[in-house]
Amino acid sequence: MQLDFIINKWAVWPPLSPEQDSAAQWLSDISPMLKRRLTPLAKTVFCTVAQCLDEDGMVPAVFSSAHGELAKSLSMMEMLEVGEEISPTGFSLSVHNAIAGLFSMAWKNKLQCTVLAPGEEGMAPAFIEGLGLLQEGAERVLLVFYDEPLPAFYPSSPYRLSSDSSCALALMIAKSGTGQALTLFSSALIGNDGEQPVQLPAFIRFLTEPQTRLTFCMPRRSWSWEKRYD
Amino acid sequence: MSSLENELKKLIIESLDLEDIGVDDIDSHEALFNDGLGLDSIDALELGLAIRKKYNIRIDSEKDDVVNIFASVAALAEFIDSEQRAA
Repeated sequence: MQLDFIINKWAVWPPLSPEQDSAAQWLSDISPMLKRRLTPLAKTVFCTVAQCLDEDGMVPAVFSSAHGELAKSLSMMEMLEVGEEISPTGFSLSVHNAIAGLFSMAWKNKLQCTVLAPGEEGMAPAFIEGLGLLQEGAERVLLVFYDEPLPAFYPSSPYRLSSDSSCALALMIAKSGTGQALTLFSSALIGNDGEQPVQLPAFIRFLTEPQTRLTFCMPRRSWSWEKRYD
Repeated sequence: MSSLENELKKLIIESLDLEDIGVDDIDSHEALFNDGLGLDSIDALELGLAIRKKYNIRIDSEKDDVVNIFASVAALAEFIDSEQRAA
C-alpha cells in the first residue's frame, strides 16, 4: 500500500531557530476568557496550529498524542486520595480531547475533529486517519502531534514512550498543491523505534534535512515516509 | 463596596484564572455570566467549589435559586451574608 500526499505547510513548537517569533504573537488572537484555560502544552499546540491555519480556520483536524496531559489526571487522583475536592475546570480539561475541544472553540471550527492516542503505533495512525479524510473528499486536513514528558510517577524506562521536553508539530496535508510531496507506505519489518514522543524529533529532522526516507519500525509493522520530487 | 464584595472579587479572579482582570474591573452589580463578565457553566462549578472551601457554604442546585445567587457579585455577597447569619 502506497499513499501519496503533500504537506502544504507545517510548523513546530518550540521553534527550531531561537530568533523566531514569540508564543505571545501566535496566541494574540485568542480571547482572554479562552486563553486562561490553556495549559502550557495547549499553548505549545496552539502556536503550531496558528501558523498552519488560514484565516477562516475551517479544516477537519486529527490530533495525536501518546499521553495527552496525563500529569493533570495524576494530580487529580492524588487530590482524591487525600480527600480533597477536585477542580471542575481541571477535570473538564483533563480528558484526551481537551486541547482539540479548545482548538474548535478558539477557531470556531465545526468540522470533524479526531483525537488519537496511538500507543505503540506512533505517528502513523494520524496520517492514516488524515489520508482517509482526504480520500473522502476533504480538500485539506490538519494533523497535530503533541506530547509532554510523562510524570516521574509512571515508569517510562525501559519503554521508549516519553521524551525530555514538550513538543508540538502541525502539518497541513492535501492531495495536491504546493509543498513537500510524500509517500507513506508500510512493510513487515518490525522493531522498536519508540512511541510518538520519541518519533516526533526524528520526524521534524526528516522535514528539515535532506534525508529522503524515514522509517519507524514498530512491534507489528513499520511505516515509511519518502519524499517525492516528480 | 463592602469588604465581602471585595473579597469575592478576589476569589473570582483567583479561582477562575482571570489573569488580566483586577478587582476594580468587576462591577458589583454587573452580570457574572454570559454578557457581563463572560463566565461560563464550568466557572459556576469552580466558583461554587471555591465558596464551599472558603466560607464552608454549600450552594445546592436543587434547593437554592442558583441563577439569582450567581447573578452578580452583590447578589452573591448577599447570599453568603444571609447564610452566615443563619448559621
